[in-house]
Amino acid sequence: MMTVAMAASVCAVTAILAAYSVLTREVSRNYLGTNPASAQLKLDRVDDELVRAVRGRPDIAAAEAGASMLGRIEVGENEWLPVRLFVVPDFETLHINAFRRQSGAWPPPLGSMLIERSALSLTRRRVGQTVTIQTPNGRPHPLAIAGLVHDPGLAPAWQEQAVYAYVTPATLAALGERPDLQLLKIVVSTDPGSVKAIEAASTSLASWLNATGHAVREIRVPPPRMHPHQRQMDAVMIMLSIFSLLALLLGAVLAATIISGLLAQQVRQIAIMKAIGARTRQIVSLYLSLVAAIGAVSVAAGLAFGLLAGRGFVNLVAELLNLDILDYTVPWWILGVSVALGMVAPLAAALVPILIAARKTVRESIDDYGVVRSSRVPGSFGRMMVHIRSGNAAVTLAMRNTVRRRARLIFTLVLLATAGGMFVTSVNLKAAWERNIAAAAAGRHYDAEIQLQKPAPQAEVLDLIRAIPGVRRAEPWSAAAAAVDRGNHLNIYRTYPDGGHGSFALRATAPRSDFVSHEHIEGRWLQPGDTEEIVLNGQARASLFPNAKLGAAISMMVGDRPVRLRLIGIAQEPMTPAAGYTTPEFFANATGQVGLVNAVRIALTKGAAADLVPQQVVQALEGRHMGVKLVLTEKTFGMAQGGHIYVLVVALAFIAAMMALVGILGLASALSTSVIERTREFGVLRAVGARSADVRKIVLTEGLSIGLLSAVVAVPLSVPLSMQVGNVIGSISLQPLSLTLSWGGVGIWFALVLAGSVAASLFPAIRASKLTIRQTLAYV
Amino acid sequence: MQLAAMTRVREAQVLIRLRAVSKIYETSVGKFAALDNVNLDIHQGECVAVVGKSGSGKTTLINVLTGIDTPSSGELHVAGSAMHELSQEELAVFRGRTIGVVFQFFQLLPTLTVVENVMLPMDFCHTYPPAKRRGRALDLLDRMGIADQASKLPTDLSGGQQQRAAIARALANDPPIVVADEPTGNLDSKTSEEVMRFLAALAVDGKTVLTVTHERDLGRFFTRTITLRDGAVHADHASVTS
Repeated sequence: MMTVAMAASVCAVTAILAAYSVLTREVSRNYLGTNPASAQLKLDRVDDELVRAVRGRPDIAAAEAGASMLGRIEVGENEWLPVRLFVVPDFETLHINAFRRQSGAWPPPLGSMLIERSALSLTRRRVGQTVTIQTPNGRPHPLAIAGLVHDPGLAPAWQEQAVYAYVTPATLAALGERPDLQLLKIVVSTDPGSVKAIEAASTSLASWLNATGHAVREIRVPPPRMHPHQRQMDAVMIMLSIFSLLALLLGAVLAATIISGLLAQQVRQIAIMKAIGARTRQIVSLYLSLVAAIGAVSVAAGLAFGLLAGRGFVNLVAELLNLDILDYTVPWWILGVSVALGMVAPLAAALVPILIAARKTVRESIDDYGVVRSSRVPGSFGRMMVHIRSGNAAVTLAMRNTVRRRARLIFTLVLLATAGGMFVTSVNLKAAWERNIAAAAAGRHYDAEIQLQKPAPQAEVLDLIRAIPGVRRAEPWSAAAAAVDRGNHLNIYRTYPDGGHGSFALRATAPRSDFVSHEHIEGRWLQPGDTEEIVLNGQARASLFPNAKLGAAISMMVGDRPVRLRLIGIAQEPMTPAAGYTTPEFFANATGQVGLVNAVRIALTKGAAADLVPQQVVQALEGRHMGVKLVLTEKTFGMAQGGHIYVLVVALAFIAAMMALVGILGLASALSTSVIERTREFGVLRAVGARSADVRKIVLTEGLSIGLLSAVVAVPLSVPLSMQVGNVIGSISLQPLSLTLSWGGVGIWFALVLAGSVAASLFPAIRASKLTIRQTLAYV
Repeated sequence: MQLAAMTRVREAQVLIRLRAVSKIYETSVGKFAALDNVNLDIHQGECVAVVGKSGSGKTTLINVLTGIDTPSSGELHVAGSAMHELSQEELAVFRGRTIGVVFQFFQLLPTLTVVENVMLPMDFCHTYPPAKRRGRALDLLDRMGIADQASKLPTDLSGGQQQRAAIARALANDPPIVVADEPTGNLDSKTSEEVMRFLAALAVDGKTVLTVTHERDLGRFFTRTITLRDGAVHADHASVTS
């Protein structure tokens, strides 16, 4: 049991540390393996000559042309999802934002496309089947899925609820679009990890392009060398590192618990050895060797299983994040930590108790009996346990046995309570994320948002939509991509190639609209009479305007126009991309879309089909030749936001399971030791009439008492833990995690710890009940 | 007095009967007969001393009589029950109700108070209603002269007091038989006398008392002495009681 418990501890620490190190390395390797563009410049047209000229610039290491656009893909009958089409002029020489061929034709033949592997399930098709695609200027057109690619530079498609497809310019033309390449992808030659260096090179390049007659419409500089979900991954990694440290601590506590238990059983044997001439040094060497041997077996087993468990977890995360793990090698330092935990920690924990036991006189050691018969007067703690009472002496006995060995009880409680605290913390964090999602959903009082390909007359659009049965209300919520104004009137957006991550939108919002409400707001929301005011959401404030103060002016670029607005509020708006909300009048003036609308939000009547009505809206708009870019429903929001926390939930569950395993095995080990120590006592109990069931009941009651006590301690312990870990993760992910105590999680831990306590007690209980009185009374 | 006691015992029923009881242990060097074809009848009210050299089979005999160990062959009837036919679980209940055991080292449970130790057999065997158990335990402690120690932990008591508490525990379920394994082995001579006086008084009250002892000075407290040698009954004779 001791070896198993120690091995479990080594296993947990190894698994978490191995997962941490492999994932940290492989996430970065996967993303950087795509050779991500430092920047993408949007021009009217990029040709080979221009690319060659750009490549000749000293501050540019590499340049390529490309294009991308957002269309729609029909995944079911009248059921559309967004599709991001990446246009690749030459699949063979693709070097920037590269992806790898997984299966099928390369390059895809005319009239076909390659699909990112994580998107195939969204299309509900298999490779070789066709699917209908519609681009902004084209009509619905069938395209065959020619094969799959792996693009680790993108967030997994199922998380984004968007399909990624790769086509040639010829296929793009077949879809009804101009085959021109408009994107200039560059990698800077100096300091490609620095935003400053990239912006300097991009700005310089943009000035040169503008001066040479190539108008630069937009510059996109995503965070350098950071995967779109890097923050999400960082949150998982930081959690793994925090919890691995705690697991290490628990492992050391477990080692100390086990070793002190082991020595408790050996006191009389030590006395006998001393009585026949053993010297203290010989006894110390003997027991340190024994501890080292137990440690060696634990390390061997724990390392093997830990590496396996870690690999399993890495594979799971890799699948969730759409990564390929190319190398599972675990750094030597992790093996060193595991060996230290399995070997050094037990030896360190054992040294003092071994010295104490070895230095005891023979008389003292022999008097250390399972059933006390010495005249030693119990201390104040021993006397306090007399106050623990129940109606039944056997139950009283069990409960007092729980607190009999104070040091062991404290060790076991620390172990179990910490494991419990960490378990509840992990569930609390999950609950906090879910609360954010729920808060985001609660703040939306509309059922769908329909984004148009191009601005259309507002009155016509609204009249058309309001006439559709099932639509209760429709409001204009136009949106325009925006960027922080850098003073040179060049738009530098933080958007990733997928067009979503890192984006920032300015949105028109009627001040009286009740389509959104915000629980937590700093300052105030828009009011009638506002003219040049703006409310930023939390993501925009944290990532784009971290120093902006309420009442102060902020500057941004909307299209190619610089605008200044007065910041009047910060709306929390969790799990939502960066956005700023202003009045429809200001938006119309800033974008030049007076009397026009490019996005509409609708609320449905009670009982209206949430899937069907938005489809009817789309059909009605398209019937008037108003192309629809995107339809966002609550279902899409739910799936996308839920998908983003799934990795975190899996990581938390993994950590919690490891912690629970260590805790329960620690309890089993402590109970086993306790039973062995009290072997004679069980003989006495049976001699006075206790049946096997009575003995089992006593041991089970002890286990349950300790388990219950630890769970009671674990709940308050989880509060500061949840706050601290939540703060760390919140600051990394830019999604504040407020303290959320999950009573469901508390209940699960209580159930787990009680079931675990029964399981942990069962073996010692059965063992105790099977001891014959003759064996027990003969026990030395 | 001795004659009267013997007459009374002869008229009493046989409470313990051993017929051809043997206990064989398998050891690495072969079989070892700890008890060899033992035949005995012990009547109600007898106060029996079991004596013999170390290894003569005293402890094995006591273990077999109390159901702590099972005979390899032969028949053993205690208080009308064929103990050799009972399972371990049945033996546990039977022992709790029928036989009170007193150990050399008292073996009181250190985490229970003295009165709780005495209540323990009643809790296990449900011989008295819960509401009456504490009162009965206190009565027994009072009989042993240590009622004032009832709420203390065993370690707060002297050796003699602990052994008296152990006797009270043995009597908790009012068993007809009390078996004591060297009950004075860990006590001074004065306390030993007191403890033996308690045990002898129990026999006078109708209990059957079997005691394993090494101490010849205490022979006067017994009505009968059984001497074992090499696992067999070497001598069995009435004692001279005081």
